[in-house]
Amino acid sequence: MKKFLLLTVFALFMVITVACSSDSSGEADGSSDDGSWEPEEPIEIVAPAGAGGGWDTTARMVAKVFNEESIIEESIGVVNKAGGGGAVGWAYVAGHEGSGHNMFVASPPLLFIPLNGQSEYGHEDFTPIANVIADYAAFAVAADAKWDNLNELFDDMKEDPSSITVVGTSSPGSMDHIQFVKIAKAAGVDVTKIKYVSDQDGVGLTQLLNGSVDVFSTGVSETVEQVKAGTIKVLGVTSEERLEGEILEDFPTAKEQGIDETFVNWRGFFGPPNMDEAAVAYYEEKFKELSDSEAFADIRKQFGWDEMYMGSEEYSQFLGDEKEKIQTLLDELGLGQ
Amino acid sequence: MGSLEGILTGFQVAFSLEGVLFVLIGVFVGTFIGMLPGLGPISAIAVMIPITFGMDPAPALVMMAGVYYGAIFGGSTSSILLNAPGVSGAVATAFDGYPMAQQGKAGKALAIAAICSFFGGTVSVLLLMLLAPALSSVAIAFGPPAYFALMLMGLTAISSLSEGSTIKALLSAVAGFMVATIGIDAQTGTQRFTFGNVNLLEGLDFLVIALGLFALAEVCTLIINRKDLSQENTHKIGSMKLSKEDINEMKGPATRQSLLGFIIGVLPGAGATIASFIAYISEKKIAKNPEEFGKGSVRGLAAPEAANNAATSGAFVPLLSLGIPGSGTTAVMLGAFLVLGVQPGPLLMTDRPEIFWGVIASMYIGNVFLLILNLPLIPYFAKILKIPRPLLISLVIMFSIIGVYAISFNTFDLYMLLLFGVVGFLMRIFSFPAPPFILAFILGGMMEQAFRQSLTISNGSLMIFVQDPIALSLLIVSLLSFVFPLVRQLRKRKG
Repeated sequence: MKKFLLLTVFALFMVITVACSSDSSGEADGSSDDGSWEPEEPIEIVAPAGAGGGWDTTARMVAKVFNEESIIEESIGVVNKAGGGGAVGWAYVAGHEGSGHNMFVASPPLLFIPLNGQSEYGHEDFTPIANVIADYAAFAVAADAKWDNLNELFDDMKEDPSSITVVGTSSPGSMDHIQFVKIAKAAGVDVTKIKYVSDQDGVGLTQLLNGSVDVFSTGVSETVEQVKAGTIKVLGVTSEERLEGEILEDFPTAKEQGIDETFVNWRGFFGPPNMDEAAVAYYEEKFKELSDSEAFADIRKQFGWDEMYMGSEEYSQFLGDEKEKIQTLLDELGLGQ
Repeated sequence: MGSLEGILTGFQVAFSLEGVLFVLIGVFVGTFIGMLPGLGPISAIAVMIPITFGMDPAPALVMMAGVYYGAIFGGSTSSILLNAPGVSGAVATAFDGYPMAQQGKAGKALAIAAICSFFGGTVSVLLLMLLAPALSSVAIAFGPPAYFALMLMGLTAISSLSEGSTIKALLSAVAGFMVATIGIDAQTGTQRFTFGNVNLLEGLDFLVIALGLFALAEVCTLIINRKDLSQENTHKIGSMKLSKEDINEMKGPATRQSLLGFIIGVLPGAGATIASFIAYISEKKIAKNPEEFGKGSVRGLAAPEAANNAATSGAFVPLLSLGIPGSGTTAVMLGAFLVLGVQPGPLLMTDRPEIFWGVIASMYIGNVFLLILNLPLIPYFAKILKIPRPLLISLVIMFSIIGVYAISFNTFDLYMLLLFGVVGFLMRIFSFPAPPFILAFILGGMMEQAFRQSLTISNGSLMIFVQDPIALSLLIVSLLSFVFPLVRQLRKRKG
C-alpha cells in the first residue's frame, strides 16, 4: 500500500509537471517610468499545433537560443495548443489582451485559415512583433517520373488536368495547396481544375513513392533526404534565388524556369491584441539580436531555414500585402469566405 | 556484408554502459507514464524531448524509443484494472482484460499482458533487425485504395464485437462514424458539425471518447449498482502465476498476432490500434469457443497485447528507413530525431549505422527491462483494486480528467468527456455496446479520407478499388469474413 501511495505521488508529480508548463499568469505590467519595458515573469510562447511540427520546432529553438545565449534572462516556456489548424491557440492568445508575456509563433496559415472562414481571429487582431525565418516550398515527383522541370509538368496539366494528382499535408485552401496553386497559376494552368488530395497523417511522401499520386507539394527541407537517396526529384522551389547548402543548391527555382512567382513560408512571432508598445519594442530588439546570433545561424543551417528578419511595422505591411494576394487566389478557387 | 557490421555497431551502442542506462531510464519513464490512464506515448515523448537537448544523439534516441514502446507496454495496466485505456492501442486490451480483473484474476491478467507484450515486442525487434531494409518497400506498398480496404477489414469486427443485438451494435457504430466526421474536413476544408465552435474544428480526441465511454461509464455503473460493493471477487487480485493451460492458450495467439501486428505496424497510418483490433477479431474468428471472448478470455487478452507491442516496433520501419512518421506518436519521435540533428530516411542506415542499429538493438534490452520491471510490480499495481470503492472511483475520475486536460489544456475537452461519460452510461443502460462505437470512431475518419482520396485520384471511378491488387485481396477477405458466419448460421437453421 505504501509503495502504491508513493507511486501515486510520483504520478501526480509527473502530471503536474506536464500541466504546469501551460500555466498562464496574471498580466503584470513591466513598464517603468522612462518608457522602457522588461519582462517580469516567465514568458509563454504558444505553438498553436502539436509537438514536433514546424511551429513547435521554431518556437522551441527560439526559446532555447534566447535563454542559452542570455538574450532574455526571464525563462521562456513553449506551450502546445493544437486544434483547428491554429485557431484554438490564436483564440487562447487573443484572451490575453495587452499582456507582455504571451506570444505565439505563426506562418502563412495565419492568413489562410481566417480567409477560409475557419478562425474568427486573423493577423490584424494580433500585434506583429517580428518575423524571424523564411522557408520555401518544393514540388517533388518520383525519381522515375517523366517530368524533369516545372514547365513539362505544367504543360501536361494544361492539357489534361485530370491525369495529375497533387498531394499535400494541409487541407485545400491552406499552405501545401495554395503554394502549388500560386506557382501553377503564374505558369498558366487552370487552377480550378487541379486535383489536390490532402493527407493529414503526413504520409504524402508514401503516396508519391508508391505512385498513388504524381506530385508532392511540401517544404524544401522535407525533400532533402529522399533526393539524396535518389527516390524523388525536386522540379522546383519557390524561393527568389537558389538556396544555399548541399543538395539544396541543386534545386531550380520556379523563377529561373520562367515562372515569375514565389512563395515564402515566413515564420515569426505575434503578441496578443494591444500589446504594450514598449513591450513590442523590447521584443523587436531581442529578436533582432537572436536573428544575428551565431547560435541561431547554426540552427537555421541545421533545419534549412533562411534568415528573414522584419520588425513590427515592416511585418505588418508585408502581411497586408500577402493577404491580398492570397485572397485573390482563394476567390478564384471558390474557397474564399 | 555491410549490414552485419552495422548490426554489430548497433549492439555495441546498445550494450555500452551509457546505452543500457538510457534504455533503462527510457522504458521506466515510458512504462510509468503509459500506466497512468489518459497519458500515452505522445505526452511521454513530449515530456522527454527537452531533456535530450545537448545529449549525444545515439543514447538520446535509444532513450526516446524506450519511452515510446515503454508507454505502449504500460498502457495495458489501466485498461485491465480500471477499464480506462490511456492509449488507443490498449482499447482492445480492456475487452477481456477488465472482465478478467473483475473476476478476481487481476494478477493473472496483468501477467498475461506483460508476457505477451514482451513476446510481441521481442519477436518484432527480431523481424525488424532481419528485415528492416527489405520492409521499407512494404511500408510504401499501400496506396489510398489499399488503406480503405484495410480499414474496412477492421470494421468487419463490428459483427464480432457485438454481444446480443446486432442492430444495436450497428447503430452504435453509426454513431461512432458520425462523431468521427466532426471537425474540418481534410479533403475540402469545410467545417462539419462544429456549430461554429472553435474547439470542435480539430474534431474530438480519441481519449475524450475512450475515457468517457469506458472509464466514466464504468464509474457510473459502479455507483448505481451498489450490490457490486458486496461482491468479494472484484477486490481479489488472485495469483499472478499462470497455469499450464493458460500458457498453452497464450502461445498461439501471441505468436500469430505478433507477426500480424508487426506487419500492420509497418504500414504508416495503421499502427498499434488497428493491429490490436484486427488481432482481437481474427483470434475470435478462429477460436473454438468465441463465446468466451469479452468475458475474460486468455486468448482475447493475449492477442491485442502481443499485436500492439509488435506494431510499435513495426512503426520504426517507415520512421527509420523512410523518414515517414506513420502516426501522431511517430511524428513526435521524428521531431525528437530532428532536434538532435539526425534526419531519419533512406540514408540513415548507411550514414549513421550506430543510430539506426543502435536504436533497434536497444529494443531487445528495453523489452527485457520492461518485463523485469513490470512483473514484480504487478502485485502492487493490482492493489489498486483493494482501495475502497469510493476512493477508487474518485481516483479514476481524477485521472480521466487530468488525462483529457493534458491533451491540449483546454477545459472544453472536459465538458466533452463528461458528455461522453453520460452517453456511455446511457448506452449501457439500454445495452448498446461501446466497442463498435469506438472502433467506428477510430477507423471511420481514416477510412473516409482514404475513400475520398482514392476517388479523387481515379476521377470518381470505383474501379480503383478492384484494380489495386492489395485493395482487392483485402476486400475479398472482408467479404468472406462477413459471408462465412451467415452461411454457418443458415446451415445451422437448416440442420
